Amino acid sequence: MALDRYPGVDGPLFKRALLGSLSWLSANHEEVNRLNVFPVPDGDTGTNMLLTLQSAVEDIKESNAAEVSKIAKLASHGSLMGARGNSGVILSQIFRGFARAVEGKSSLTPAELATAFEEAANAAYRAVNKPTEGTILTVAREAGRAAAAAASSPDATVPRVIAAAASGARAAVLKTPSQLQILREAGVVDAGGFGLQIILEGMLKTVEESESLPSGLTAPRPAAPVASQVAVTLPEGGWGYCTEFLIEGSGLDLERIKNQIEALGNSVLVVGEPELVKVHVHTDDPTRVITLAGGYGKVLKLNVGDMSTQHKRILESEASRVPRPNGVGLVAVVAGSGLVEIFRGLGVDAIVEGGQTMNPSTQDMLTAIESVPYDEVILLPNNRNVILAAKQVRGLTKKNAHVLETHSVPQGVAAVVAFRGDRSGAENLEAMKSEAERIQTIEVTHAVRDTRSNGLKVKKGDVIGLINDKLEFAGSDYGEVVNKALSKLGPGSYELVTVYRGKDASDDELAKLEAEIRSTHPGLEVEVQQGGQQHYPFILSVE
Amino acid sequence: MKRPFAVVTDSTADLPDAWRARYGIEVVPLKVLFGEETFRDGVDMNNEEFFRTLAASSKLPTTSAPSPGEFAELYQRLAQDFEGCISIHIGAQLSATAEAARVGAQSVDNFKVNVIDSETVTMPMAFLCRVAAECPTLEAATAAVQERIPKSRVLALLDTLRYIEMGGRVSRAQAMIGTMLDLKPLLLVKDREIKSVDRVRTRSRAIPRMVEFFEADLPVEHVGVVHAQAPDEAERIAADLRRRLPGLDVPVGQIGCVLGTHTGPKALGVVYLKK
Repeated sequence: MALDRYPGVDGPLFKRALLGSLSWLSANHEEVNRLNVFPVPDGDTGTNMLLTLQSAVEDIKESNAAEVSKIAKLASHGSLMGARGNSGVILSQIFRGFARAVEGKSSLTPAELATAFEEAANAAYRAVNKPTEGTILTVAREAGRAAAAAASSPDATVPRVIAAAASGARAAVLKTPSQLQILREAGVVDAGGFGLQIILEGMLKTVEESESLPSGLTAPRPAAPVASQVAVTLPEGGWGYCTEFLIEGSGLDLERIKNQIEALGNSVLVVGEPELVKVHVHTDDPTRVITLAGGYGKVLKLNVGDMSTQHKRILESEASRVPRPNGVGLVAVVAGSGLVEIFRGLGVDAIVEGGQTMNPSTQDMLTAIESVPYDEVILLPNNRNVILAAKQVRGLTKKNAHVLETHSVPQGVAAVVAFRGDRSGAENLEAMKSEAERIQTIEVTHAVRDTRSNGLKVKKGDVIGLINDKLEFAGSDYGEVVNKALSKLGPGSYELVTVYRGKDASDDELAKLEAEIRSTHPGLEVEVQQGGQQHYPFILSVE
Repeated sequence: MKRPFAVVTDSTADLPDAWRARYGIEVVPLKVLFGEETFRDGVDMNNEEFFRTLAASSKLPTTSAPSPGEFAELYQRLAQDFEGCISIHIGAQLSATAEAARVGAQSVDNFKVNVIDSETVTMPMAFLCRVAAECPTLEAATAAVQERIPKSRVLALLDTLRYIEMGGRVSRAQAMIGTMLDLKPLLLVKDREIKSVDRVRTRSRAIPRMVEFFEADLPVEHVGVVHAQAPDEAERIAADLRRRLPGLDVPVGQIGCVLGTHTGPKALGVVYLKK
């Protein structure tokens, strides 16, 4: 009979169970690593736990000890010697507690095994200076409790006790975000606790083969990082892809669609009318769901989200959404995909698309200012032609809006770099202004018609160079014009040239320009950024 | 007759060799891992070798704390000659080292170990070791060190955020650094936190900014300059500080392998204990 296969946990079985844990953790430790939360330092929790476990089983591999106590002692010693990271240290204490609980025993009954799990958790709590709930400690304790509950049942077996521990661990892991704010904010479960869950699952996988376990105690599917937002609404068994779409058709049978989709995933929602049905499902196989839906009608507004990617996005946006202590917002007028990204990356709250040839309206800027969650806002026009419209905004908003008169994109970047969230609006304005004024801007474009300006004769199509909005040079080649402009500025007084490459500049043109600046002005550092702006193949910031 | 107490620290203290010799301070190495290969910080690999390997390596290394067992072995050995020890370690918010020391100490009998979470990193730890070593008793040393922990500051100028970001200690958002421009973040380690205090476009302007920030934080009891492969700039800053602060010796230290994994090359720091 199957139940007799494991009358008790002896040395060889415990050894096999630990090796099972090791191989399961080894297969899944990257998943644990991925649960890193800034600024928690254990970015490599999975690796640390794996190395600790490897060290724990090092000596066991050679041992043929019949007694569970001997194997447990080797694991305790090995893990202590090899413990890495906070989670690894706690894991070593779990082994230590387990080893103490089974001292002198050659084999463990289901009840003794459960007690050892509980003692292991107790030892871990005692070893830690300030125990924190929502971590591996909580998971160890809940695993122990679940094991004890299973052991008190009349049909308790070793596999059932291990299964209960693993499933208790899993339940506790899913709850960690409700106990620790940092996890909640990042939308992940605790990494160390998850590692322990995997270790228990690995043990379970060792003993469960050919063992029929009651439902609810079966081994979970391969472990995966989960986010609290999803974990709490998601039935056990699967994360995967959040899939949403509409089906347009006629005489659609909602009940039937629902039944079929339920077979492919969970958190199923099918609502609507016979002509238009909205479907939401969490599934591992979105393609099958969509194929199925396509048989009923036209699939519209399809949206498939990889939940782990979603969680990553939540994590990233959470990090950038920390409110500023000074309560001052930033709005910038800028165009070009790369420049927009640069300004956003530097902390600008709202972007108004616009610039040289598409000046934004006062209304556009007003809307952006109103959208920012701060009552004081600094607006950067980043173009001479935008300044006037920008100034109008001040009379239209109830917010305390300032216009910092940046004449160019490079001035705008310098101003934003100088902005600090812990400094008042007035202090920021002063610092930003002085930084912006240090910047020299060179803009390079082609003349759109023949002209004479600033004593310079220019033919349509010529490369022209402007220094701080003033036409200074014309020529046939970008490098020539830029180098003349740099020489005029006096490169000795500057150290860095940032080249913002426009939409129309080719890779070759960029490489050539870069090389020519470097060879003519070897003292200058050159940094290239993808600006993506129109009309100006190159904008250069000189500082 | 046993001596009253020993001073133990770890390799992230960037303890100057002269102090190590003068005070007999024990240094436990953290580890740096390049792929499968583990090196003990300052033992199997020195700073020069580390930054050379780092430059040649396509994957970034990782770091790890000493194991509790390694601490237990050291304490066991010290127990033969000393009544106890003060064990001053890298901030627990940055590494599991102090926790490993505490667990390691539990397995040694008849030897008093006061494990100190310094809440900081690099040379402020070395200053704390020096303060401890000059005390007559373990109790006095512990009190003197505890009193100074809230006063420790590391003002760090990184040449790039890449390394500290990969190590998970600071995100770009926290450092107020976007993903595109090559900005130099000026970071402050204080009160268990790493805070960005400024961001500057070029290195030559960032260095005076760092010194200005430091001068606004005077007076100090100890100050030093640390660097990763930037000895000339570090010496210049130190000379400048010595001129302005007569009476302070302003040592220059080199950032070790483990900390260097997180700062990357060309990092500079002004490190101090406030008065």
